[in-house]
Amino acid sequence: MEGGELSSWVVRRLVDSTITFALALTLAFFLMRVAPGDPLARVTEGRTLSPAEVAALRTRYGLEQPLIRQFGSFVEGLVRGDLGVSIEYGRPVTALLAERLPATVLLGGSVLLLNFSLGLWLGVRQAVRRGTAEDRWLTALSLMGYAIPSFWLGLVLAWLIGIELRLLPAAGMQDPLLGTDAGFLARAVDLLRHLVLPAVTLSVVSIAATMRYQRTAMLEVLQLPFITTARAKGLREQDVTWRHAWRNALFPVITLFGLWLPLLVTGSVFVEAVFAWPGLGSLAASAVWGRDYPVIMGCVLLVAGLVVTAGFLTDLAYTVLDPRVRLA
Amino acid sequence: MTRWSPRTPIAAIVAVCLLTHLAAAQSSQAHHRSIVIVTGEQPTVPVPTLMEGAALTVGNLELADQLFLRLAGLGPSLTTAGDRNFVPLLARSWTRRDSVTLVFDLDPRARWQDGAPVTARDVVFTFERARNPRIAPRLAALLRHMTAVTAEGDRRVVFRYAQAYPEQLYDATFHAAPLPSHLLDSIPPEALARSSFVGQPVGSGPYRLVRSVAGQFVELAANDRFFLGKPEIERVFIRVAADPNARINLLMSGQADAMDNVVPPLNNLQRLRADTSLRLIPVPSPTLGFLLFNQKDPRDPAQPHPILSEVRVRRAIVLGLNRQLMVRAVFGSYAEVPYGPVSPLLWIRHRSPKAERHQPTEARRLLADAGWKDSDNDGILDQNGRPLILSLSLPNTSAIRRQMALLAQEQLRQIGISLEVQQMEFPVWSERRNAGRFDVDFTAVTQDPSPSGLTQGWSCGGGTNVARYCNPRVDSLLSRAVLGSDQNPIRIWIAVLRQIEADAPAAFIYAPSYVYAVRNRFRNVSISPVSSWQLLREWKVAN
Repeated sequence: MEGGELSSWVVRRLVDSTITFALALTLAFFLMRVAPGDPLARVTEGRTLSPAEVAALRTRYGLEQPLIRQFGSFVEGLVRGDLGVSIEYGRPVTALLAERLPATVLLGGSVLLLNFSLGLWLGVRQAVRRGTAEDRWLTALSLMGYAIPSFWLGLVLAWLIGIELRLLPAAGMQDPLLGTDAGFLARAVDLLRHLVLPAVTLSVVSIAATMRYQRTAMLEVLQLPFITTARAKGLREQDVTWRHAWRNALFPVITLFGLWLPLLVTGSVFVEAVFAWPGLGSLAASAVWGRDYPVIMGCVLLVAGLVVTAGFLTDLAYTVLDPRVRLA
Repeated sequence: MTRWSPRTPIAAIVAVCLLTHLAAAQSSQAHHRSIVIVTGEQPTVPVPTLMEGAALTVGNLELADQLFLRLAGLGPSLTTAGDRNFVPLLARSWTRRDSVTLVFDLDPRARWQDGAPVTARDVVFTFERARNPRIAPRLAALLRHMTAVTAEGDRRVVFRYAQAYPEQLYDATFHAAPLPSHLLDSIPPEALARSSFVGQPVGSGPYRLVRSVAGQFVELAANDRFFLGKPEIERVFIRVAADPNARINLLMSGQADAMDNVVPPLNNLQRLRADTSLRLIPVPSPTLGFLLFNQKDPRDPAQPHPILSEVRVRRAIVLGLNRQLMVRAVFGSYAEVPYGPVSPLLWIRHRSPKAERHQPTEARRLLADAGWKDSDNDGILDQNGRPLILSLSLPNTSAIRRQMALLAQEQLRQIGISLEVQQMEFPVWSERRNAGRFDVDFTAVTQDPSPSGLTQGWSCGGGTNVARYCNPRVDSLLSRAVLGSDQNPIRIWIAVLRQIEADAPAAFIYAPSYVYAVRNRFRNVSISPVSSWQLLREWKVAN
């Protein structure tokens, strides 16, 4: 692939991605506002507010303006990096997202790491040992993992490991009793302890899926003539597996990676609730239930950004890793 | 490739768990005089006069009660009328100059957490802000009878009112705790919410804020200078978990020491009773749940409701419901059927009659008197070809109301009324309710300790009277009760409740207690129905 060709492809894909991103934001903005439900419902619930107070709240959040002007204000703010003020929390959305993002990145990153290390490794092992007892019980295990609903697994793990055995914390992200004077190691260990159960809960399904994909892809590649050639050349079996076969069996998994990336924000809502994990998923879900428009748009911005970025990175990875893939 | 064994990672995981478990145990042992309370809401703006609109949350109100002390507190009877049923806090004593003037003398020992004395100037400053409708519209409305708050020297504050009424002292003490003017008078009122004071407030209460970790917890430390005595519990952690299951798990796993509102569901009781280190404490709650009957046609609010404008139908629904059974099924012994719109928090409930029992025969008779017959033998009553079908709106977020709605549906079917249960998202339900677009609405409200709040929901022009119930006699009785113009105000309040029960604008279903779970290692535990953890400063820790 020529450098110039790649550059122009990158520019074209960036333009496409920006248009997709803008369309997603616009659609989300208008669809959420035409859906029924009062965004001030939670603020005014069970409280006596005069019509003047309700009107003042509507003015404060710009809810009395025509829809098109509200959209204009949103775009204006977006350009300035200002996503507005949350109706429910009364705080800037950017601050809320910034507070929640580290927890989401940590949990999501751990899940991705577990998924694409353990999942790939086990998938390759299964393919290499096709038909053995190990392959059979790993297949059974992966199918079981794929079938287990995350919310059920989360509840069971919290009860068994957190309450009955008390081996790990049942919920939360850090031990408040640890204090600000605790050393780095103590904090890291504490964070790890709290991370294990939510990360395992979220990972089980994704690891199972990755294993299945990787096994199938590897089995296909292992039957190709170039693998026979490699073996005939006297290469060690480990080199044949990891250097030759695995690299060529990676492509379906790259697609899977692109699909999993946005799910790390939107797919962890229940797990965040069960484990009181202070991430973006629960913030987004709560904003949708309460029609907190500014927070919803902040979350849509992030998720749309992740979807577009994941799509772009997946395509890029294909073109870079496989010379046979032509740039379109 | 090396031989792989599943035992290796399992052994590693167990080793990590054990090591980290030991580390955690050491961390916990170092905090004997601390408590971890798990709640559902993260406090964000725990500052009096700023808790308006979205900031008016239970989390903020309860944390503010730890940081800022009021002039006086409600006594154990929770009676809001008169001057005698209060306990001194920042104010050492109070006297009356006349029926519209109250004088408070501040306790000279009272100090802000930075060491400065609490003065009359602080109280005047706070009420200037609290009475300003541009800064605090909700508070300004609550304090509308107050005409002036002035200082006489450093320790005396004088409150003046536009008229005589029984809750003057309550208004002066309950709604706004004093703020430190020496730290805030240079900050413009509209800038206070964005100032550093919100993140590091300086109060006069038993605890000071140490840190707030977003979405996780708030840490408080005992105020060494607290003039009523330093609390024995030195550290308080208010831990946040929005999901009720996660809260229970934190408690059951030993990560928390106390929790509010453990019931319903009732099976939580079995789980918690199995843990012998916990005890359960029921406390009267400010919550009230009822089926609200729309008096107007939802499609044309100018017209009376075609079915529910008839009082005999409304009364029949009330009598046709086995409310005692509904309450037992959902709350066990931790709730009662209220008489009138009165939660367990309101002092007027102590003298009120008992709620009526289930009377299906009387309900059928009332419906027959109102002209409803089952002419086509389909089990549903009808009148002029119109079947007695009503819709019941409720938010799908409330498990209590969902469960009770199904029970009500079945019970009303027994007397020939078809109730169509419509669950909807909370914002949709709220929008429809406020617009009066419902037949029957399953409402749950939280009440202030003052019965004066009843005027909002049950008087003709009440701000939250979305069902447009209107009885001039009730309005008149409410005015007399609020103004205290009668020799025996409780008699008037009971008359209000009797009239409302007779009119049946709603079927009052449940008035629950909140059940708290607290570890046995804490002694002298008292929980205020007004603010859950307000009396934490009096708790002791067993050795």
